[in-house]
Amino acid sequence: MIIAERKPMEEIKRLIAPYKKILVAGCGTCVTVCWAGGEKEVGLLASQLKLARSAEGKDVSIVEATVERQCENEMVAEIKDKVASVDAVISLACGAGVQTMAEMFEDKPILPGVNTTFIGRPQKEGVWVEMCGACGDCFLDRTGGVCPIVRCAKGLLNGPCGGTRRGGKCEIDPDKDCAWVLVYRRLEKQGRLDIMRQYYAPKNYRAVKRPGKVQAAKA
Amino acid sequence: MKAMDKQIIAFCCEHSAYAAADLAGKLRLHYPENVLVIRVPCAGRIDVIHILKALEKGAAAVLVMGCEDGACHHITGNTRAKERVKYCNMLLKEIDLDGRRVEMFNLSPNAPHKFVKAVNEVVNTIRQLGR
Amino acid sequence: MEPRIGVFLCNCGGALNNIDFEAAAKEVSKLPGVARVEFSSSLCFEEGKQRMVSCIRGDNLDRVVVAACSPNFQEPGFQEVIERAGLNRYLLSMANIREQCSWAHTGDVTAKAVKLVKMAVNKVRLLQPLQTKEVPVSREVLVVGGGFSGVSVAVQLARVGFSVTLLEEGKVLGAGMSELESFYGFDAGQVINGAEMDERIEILTSCPVLEVTGRVGNFTIRISKDGQEIVRKYGAVVVASGYQTKLTSGSEAKSGRGIVSQEEFCRMLGDSGLARQPKTVGFLFDFSDESSRFSTLATLNNALTAKTKWGSEVYVFYRSVKVDSQGTERLYREARDCGVVFVKCEAPPSITAENGRVKVKARDVFAGEDVVLACDVLVGEELYLPAEGTETLSSLLNIRRDSRGFFQDENVHIYPVASERRGIFFVGECRGDLGRPRVLADISSVVAEVHALLSSGKMRVETEKVKADPQKCVACLTCIRVCPHGAIQLVRADGGKEVAGISDAACFACGVCAGICPAKAIAFQGYRDEEILAQIEAI
Repeated sequence: MIIAERKPMEEIKRLIAPYKKILVAGCGTCVTVCWAGGEKEVGLLASQLKLARSAEGKDVSIVEATVERQCENEMVAEIKDKVASVDAVISLACGAGVQTMAEMFEDKPILPGVNTTFIGRPQKEGVWVEMCGACGDCFLDRTGGVCPIVRCAKGLLNGPCGGTRRGGKCEIDPDKDCAWVLVYRRLEKQGRLDIMRQYYAPKNYRAVKRPGKVQAAKA
Repeated sequence: MKAMDKQIIAFCCEHSAYAAADLAGKLRLHYPENVLVIRVPCAGRIDVIHILKALEKGAAAVLVMGCEDGACHHITGNTRAKERVKYCNMLLKEIDLDGRRVEMFNLSPNAPHKFVKAVNEVVNTIRQLGR
Repeated sequence: MEPRIGVFLCNCGGALNNIDFEAAAKEVSKLPGVARVEFSSSLCFEEGKQRMVSCIRGDNLDRVVVAACSPNFQEPGFQEVIERAGLNRYLLSMANIREQCSWAHTGDVTAKAVKLVKMAVNKVRLLQPLQTKEVPVSREVLVVGGGFSGVSVAVQLARVGFSVTLLEEGKVLGAGMSELESFYGFDAGQVINGAEMDERIEILTSCPVLEVTGRVGNFTIRISKDGQEIVRKYGAVVVASGYQTKLTSGSEAKSGRGIVSQEEFCRMLGDSGLARQPKTVGFLFDFSDESSRFSTLATLNNALTAKTKWGSEVYVFYRSVKVDSQGTERLYREARDCGVVFVKCEAPPSITAENGRVKVKARDVFAGEDVVLACDVLVGEELYLPAEGTETLSSLLNIRRDSRGFFQDENVHIYPVASERRGIFFVGECRGDLGRPRVLADISSVVAEVHALLSSGKMRVETEKVKADPQKCVACLTCIRVCPHGAIQLVRADGGKEVAGISDAACFACGVCAGICPAKAIAFQGYRDEEILAQIEAI
């Protein structure tokens, strides 16, 4: 799932400073699950902005709206009246959502309120870790389901760098597990360690042409 | 409006703080009447938005009061509440508002003096903050 | 449709005379939706209640605010009254104008009373009616653990009419009981026999638990039996998984020959064919860990027995002897009177092996000098720990353990035998070092609780008091992970979507889930966001 994190408040304040009437727009999918931009966070940001502006003696006009998926035109269309009533929108959706809004409402500044960080999963409630780098050429079969592109600090493809710390920790970040130790242990459990003896050529990072496009075979 | 005329909202868990407040009344322990108690089944029910809305509505301060550490009637409710109050303090700091307006207190149902002390402490704080 | 709210102000028999009720009533009657304001001097008396009922009926009121004493005290009482009048009992909100207004302040109590009523009126406007229903519960009980507590509770449950399955992971019942026999003076064989002879008790040994799902009244347990899986349903689960003792590794002499555990020493004491009775016996006690009641009892008993039966020289090296449990002080005095020597030390003694004996060197606090003792046998210090498999059991049951790994010894709010999940109980030493009198009391408590819960075969629950809206739920699993009472599971909504499902029977209505839900999907009737915010609106 896409993981995002709210931007620092000074940045948000700077982005909305020129505008009087603002819509805080949330998304009910990924950013709700990772507690960054769902209905709850929309409410919190709107409340913060109201309190801040009122303390500064400024005009306060903050509107709230959350759509189920901000990357779908039909769903975004549902809040078109609210968008029309404001000077700018601060969107708490991921980049795909922000850009969908921007395309639908070309005349309105759509400002990003979160930083989209990675594709990941929860470790426990409130903590998410990166899992996938969207490289377009998945080879998780031969790493026992551990991705070294994002989970190895150096992105190595053919085994550990040799600097692995005691306890199987990464040389660069001692709080992280060495991804290749994880790969080894996983393949060992599956009795497939022979895979590690094979050499794999450098990765083609242009496997996905940017911006990527996928066409489903059936309509 | 003078600071003293403004309201203070106290979200009180029915198993601890609300009972302590009742006991304070029974013992005729007096505290300022601008404290309004909102009863909840557990401090863990309180969300940050409730606190912010109270401030938006003009409350001078918000107290969240739950069971003592390790004695929450619902095991983890008071811990959750504490984390949320901390988060709320951070959100207030971000917009240059004084975090001392929002505070968490832990007490037992048989601690009426602690309830009154907490309330008086907060009233003092907002008097100092002057707004 | 506009609500018709009735506000009943009570003077509590004249105790709230600092409130100007006339002025208050005037203010309150102006509030939108208030159809009638009544004043009474004692609403909770039968006369006052009857007047309330006739007012509600006479004026077609559909929601009620009672401004009087604390809801902690009288809410259920007034809920009953409005139900008598034909309203749903949940359409009531109370304003505490007594303990938290009239009695607590010296200033403008009338203004505050009006404000409290306004908050209650705002809330009552939004309250939704709730229904209750009866759900069937199974009258079969599962007891996990075949030690003293497990066997005893199974026997007592069977006696009051429950069908019991007594589950033991090991091969036999009562594996640890022999040691206890000598300390507490009971017949382990008789205790076990009591269970084996009872037809209502099914005994399954060598049967570990594989999975626990469901909720109180309807737990589904998968058990491994003879290599096969069997599935059973139970109304309640009683955990009696017990404890274990472990010799600490604090001795330098690695060879275990001279250093024994209390259990081994017990066996030696009971062994009539013992080749050579040790002439000098040492005990180590209370250095690594605060001594448990059990190890205190074991040490004193064994020391005394070694002295009286063998006539050995017996020395107990200790930091402090805690004699709080029943009979222990008497035992201590007896041991001293018989000549057992107690050596108080601050630092743990050093232990070495010398010439086939165990040499103990310790600094005697009272004598102020070192004591050196060569023992034939040293009974080592033991830690009192949760039984093997407690961690696995706790994750199968989704129940927390405390900082020492026992089941919840530290939270005083949870009644001694209940767990944080309804329908799952604990008994015995799996809760920590309790001592025998407490264990016996707990066994009776569990039987009483299980009886109260299951004997009627049904359980009354509030329907959907806390509910996750399947439309808004994004299945982020947060509430499931966070519920302190294990009451939420992933279920399939109509249409097949997986959403959070809150069990009415298992829910404790704390609201922790509602507070954390990122999609604001959980509606907790009486404490929904809108109901809380409506009270704030009134300030």
